[in-house]
Amino acid sequence: MTLRLPDQRLDHWRDRLPDLLSRCSQPMVDLDCGDWILNCSDLADLCAAVTEAGHQLGRITGRVPETIVAASALGLDASRSNTPSNRELRPNPVTTAASDLLFHHGTLRSGNHLQSERTILLYGDVNPGAQISSTADVLVWGRLRGVAHAGCEGSTTAKIVALQLRPLQLRIADVVARGPEDLPQAGLAEQAELKDGVIAIEPAVIQNFQKR
Amino acid sequence: MSTTRTILICSGKGGVGKTTTTANLGIALARQGAKTVVLDADFGLRNLDLLLGLENRIVYTAQEVLAESCRLEQALVKHKQEPNLALLPAGNPRMLEWLKPKDMQAIVALLERQFDYVLIDCPAGIEDGFKNAAAAAREAVVITTPEVAAVRDADRVIGLLNTKGVQPVQLVLNRVRPKMMSNQEMLSVDDVTDILALPLLGLVFEDEQVIVSTNRGEPLTLSDSSSPAAQAYGNIAQRLQGEDIPLMDPSQARLGLRARMRKLMQTRIF
Repeated sequence: MTLRLPDQRLDHWRDRLPDLLSRCSQPMVDLDCGDWILNCSDLADLCAAVTEAGHQLGRITGRVPETIVAASALGLDASRSNTPSNRELRPNPVTTAASDLLFHHGTLRSGNHLQSERTILLYGDVNPGAQISSTADVLVWGRLRGVAHAGCEGSTTAKIVALQLRPLQLRIADVVARGPEDLPQAGLAEQAELKDGVIAIEPAVIQNFQKR
Repeated sequence: MSTTRTILICSGKGGVGKTTTTANLGIALARQGAKTVVLDADFGLRNLDLLLGLENRIVYTAQEVLAESCRLEQALVKHKQEPNLALLPAGNPRMLEWLKPKDMQAIVALLERQFDYVLIDCPAGIEDGFKNAAAAAREAVVITTPEVAAVRDADRVIGLLNTKGVQPVQLVLNRVRPKMMSNQEMLSVDDVTDILALPLLGLVFEDEQVIVSTNRGEPLTLSDSSSPAAQAYGNIAQRLQGEDIPLMDPSQARLGLRARMRKLMQTRIF
């Protein structure tokens, strides 16, 4: 029986795996890792979870070469699946060709409003009272303390990433949320995106924007 | 190219101490030997003459100078005790509409021929009054108090100054209450500089003497007072002249000499 890890955009595999395993009736399970980029320690955790649930891990398949290499390194039976990646199939709202990225160097001060139809990469802070909005993603290399709006024209996959994400208000598509009150953990970039219609903030995932 | 420094004294919010700072800074610079003129560009609410005690000596304003109905020397009001300091009122409060950016540039060009420092007292806000006053400025000193509204408005003004290419922009944090700051009831110096990201030119502690001297029309820096605010303005003037004077430490402000010594003795160096 083959278990399929959930779609990256919807859920984290760590949250879904116990549920998947409990529904599995056969002792031997194969895993389809899909688009997940899993390193050795992730895979070790994954194996431990599978054995703990009373199953035996068979074959691992995935579409990402990094995962396959890591699995082989752990001595697992791994191979690359032939189905093309979701990421390649789906037209992506966000591309990072130079013309699709608006780069702005400088701090947005109170009263400023930076608006673009492209993904905005801001090198500087967004101060309280300033606003930054994009029809695609908003990326802030600095402190975001004003109002940020990603996906202005309704893109629900848009996200907001900042080195310090403490905005007055966050908006993604039509959803509005207040920023968190507590101070952020030092040295941790965070991202906000829509999950089940609610804006959720979590540590930013490292991703290769070129590949998206 | 003249070596005159034309400095705009501005803030976003009203009542944070622009005029007081302009008056005190003017006196302090003049005392240090720099020929200084203070230009009251806030002619809607003309107060600078009042603070300098020169209210009753104004006959002409910059308006008449530009209209060539008087000479610049006639419009300049020399300070009684401080011959290096002069005041030029920009206009009559009843003629709110006259001053345009080019007028301002013309006045400042005249002043730059004979003074080392031109301090422009700017009206609060970011409307036309501010834009006119800022038209001729090369440098700016932004005044703010440690309150969220004042900091927010200052931020906005700094944004506008940046678009006008005014450089450098420095910050004076006014009306600091060390006790409230140490109790975390007031924005700290770090909180403010964190948001505004400007070099700090000086801290001025809240001081009752400021009110006394304002009402008397004698700036604090003139009366040789040893009050903290007078010292702070003196330090700011020296820093403007390029001297390296350490900033006052709010946590030490309330301690007497003996307590400060004791604290010093208890400080572990190694």
